[in-house]
Amino acid sequence: MEHNPTSRTEPILTASNISKSFGNDLILKSVDISIKPGEIKVLIGPSGGGKSTILQCLNCLETPDSGEIRFNGERIDFHNRKALYRYRQQVGMIFQDFNLFDHMTALKNITIALQKVKGMTGREASDRAFSELEQVGLQDKSHLYPAELSGGQKQRVAIARALAMKPKLLLLDEPTSALDPELVGEVTSVIRKLADKGITMLMATHQISFMRSLADRILFIRNGEVEEQGKPEELLGTGMQTRCQKFCYELNHMDGEKL
Amino acid sequence: MNKKSLLILLAVSVFTVAGITPASAKDKIVNGIDANFPPFAYIDKKGEPAGFDVEAMNWIAEKNNLEVTHKPVEWNSIIQTLITGKIDVIASGMSITEKRAEKVDFTIPYWEIKQVMVVPENSDLTIEKIMKGNKKIGAQKGTPEAEWLKDNEGENGYNYELRIYKSSPLAVQDIMNGRIVAAAMNDAPAKDICSKKDVRILGEFGMHAEDFGYAVKKGDKELLEMMNQGIKDLKASPRWDELVEKYNP
Amino acid sequence: MIEAVTVIKNALPFLLKGGITTVTIVIGAMAIGLVVGVIMSAVIVYGNRWAGTLFRIYIWFFQGVPPLVLLFMFYFGVFNYIGFNLNEIMVAMLVLGMITGAYQANIFRGAMQSMPKGQFKAAKALGMSNLQAIGSIILPQVLRMSIPAWSNEFSIILKDSALAFVIGAPEIMARTQFIASRTYQHLPLYITAACIYFILTWAGFKGLKRLENKVMIPGYSYHGA
Repeated sequence: MEHNPTSRTEPILTASNISKSFGNDLILKSVDISIKPGEIKVLIGPSGGGKSTILQCLNCLETPDSGEIRFNGERIDFHNRKALYRYRQQVGMIFQDFNLFDHMTALKNITIALQKVKGMTGREASDRAFSELEQVGLQDKSHLYPAELSGGQKQRVAIARALAMKPKLLLLDEPTSALDPELVGEVTSVIRKLADKGITMLMATHQISFMRSLADRILFIRNGEVEEQGKPEELLGTGMQTRCQKFCYELNHMDGEKL
Repeated sequence: MNKKSLLILLAVSVFTVAGITPASAKDKIVNGIDANFPPFAYIDKKGEPAGFDVEAMNWIAEKNNLEVTHKPVEWNSIIQTLITGKIDVIASGMSITEKRAEKVDFTIPYWEIKQVMVVPENSDLTIEKIMKGNKKIGAQKGTPEAEWLKDNEGENGYNYELRIYKSSPLAVQDIMNGRIVAAAMNDAPAKDICSKKDVRILGEFGMHAEDFGYAVKKGDKELLEMMNQGIKDLKASPRWDELVEKYNP
Repeated sequence: MIEAVTVIKNALPFLLKGGITTVTIVIGAMAIGLVVGVIMSAVIVYGNRWAGTLFRIYIWFFQGVPPLVLLFMFYFGVFNYIGFNLNEIMVAMLVLGMITGAYQANIFRGAMQSMPKGQFKAAKALGMSNLQAIGSIILPQVLRMSIPAWSNEFSIILKDSALAFVIGAPEIMARTQFIASRTYQHLPLYITAACIYFILTWAGFKGLKRLENKVMIPGYSYHGA
């Protein structure tokens, strides 16, 4: 399915020269990323290479040691708490481990932020929550608790939860990596639907074939740097001989997945 | 909302039980008592403070148009309680001693007591044996007799092992249990105990007699004067004999 | 024997009133401890480092000094100096509250630290402030997790409430002593007092167990609870 990000528009998010260390480990050396409205960019690379860290720096769940982030042209002040809270309302995040709130039903997982953060009334919040659950096909599971849902269902609820906030950008941190193979499909089809709707996404993933058809651009991240980036056909087309391709080939052989 | 209002109700009732005192027209005075010291101060069947000193205090308070409450306090820290102002007076069978007089002001003496040893009914012990025979004896904590026994250990050929108890009745209980052979106390509570348990007064054991006095905070001249006058008036009235008859101290 | 029974029968109303004092002290102390414990643990785990260190010192102090010493210290000392003229019941409640607050802070801290970090991250990712995340997401789970340990703490404070009689609070122990001094029926009376304490403990445990069942999340068992 094609979607058409306009190449003339300004990026919705630009991150430049982001670096981050944890203790003595320098995880991100210097990373530049930008993304335009409607674009879908995919991060691939080995574990520990920095994919997850860069995503968490982009919404400042981790504070970058250096660098600058601009959202809609405005610079994000890493130390202004209120500004960060407002910023994060506009940037959704999907986690590898779903991170649903265990003590709340699927519905409440979605309405809690709508009520507490956006100040919606109970009725408004549950109306929107229901509609999002419908979009991911889980409206009849709204009263269940996370412990009663399968992995794929949990991730779909997480997606509904993030989208209910109507974010301008969605960050996805390996959304299917924690799922059993037979459950991957239900989540990838939801993500495909989002792409069709034109949602701006920055996703880290190991699902090569899936993301290849979806991505506008691929970034190969290793050792805390963007080693290669380009369109899928540039990096992964037959005979391209890129490092990215080499990595995917090895991954393919381990997973048994077709490229 | 229902759960919240229940919690608020609970909080209010907790603090109500804990805190309030009803208002009244008269001026108030709080008397600290050792409620484990019959017949001078104790808690009666109805759960009310009673005893010789309680009633004496009631009489004096009424004569001075004061409302008195009797507050049971741990005897060991009763002087501290007076000094910190949590009670106004101690009318509770308190012996006048030099050491105590350093911290509080005493009234004139109103009763004389002797210090005696209490032993089991059928005991064949003598004072000599108790004081010098390496026996275990008991006394109430914070009392002059306890202190005297502690100070005189090893003097005059005395040889005993002293055990300290929270109250005289507890010491007597241990006589019954056989842990001690005798307990030292004032003769008045001793008489009370002997009427209720199988023990008897053996006799004085060498400690000087003492006087009971009421105690007020050091420097509280007004209250001291009131109490002194009260004692004089009470002794001169028929009420005194009534109390002596009733409590037989 | 008969005398003992009569004495107990007559004494029961008086002792049970002491039970009300005891229960008041315990409920008050546990409530204070809950508030103190939640605030301190949240600050230690999620908040400012200096405040956290201050609270750690508080915890170390109130866990280290014997309750009896603290009761005397506050009743005759601290509260006097700062002109706080509180009655013994309130002092006992406050002091025991501060003590259990220290222990409860440790209970909640342990529960908070055992919670998957992802819960807090997801809450922040949705734009929640630290306070909102802790209040709506972390605490409801932490409190559920902590009910068994809290139950334990309750039974400890119930027993510690007997110490209040050294500052003259008219609770069960004090009242038992009064009657024993008058009647000399020490053993039967102390057995009665023990029974009252036992019933209070049992009732408390039962109540908390019901609470635990009521708030349990379907299908979920807590990590390390």
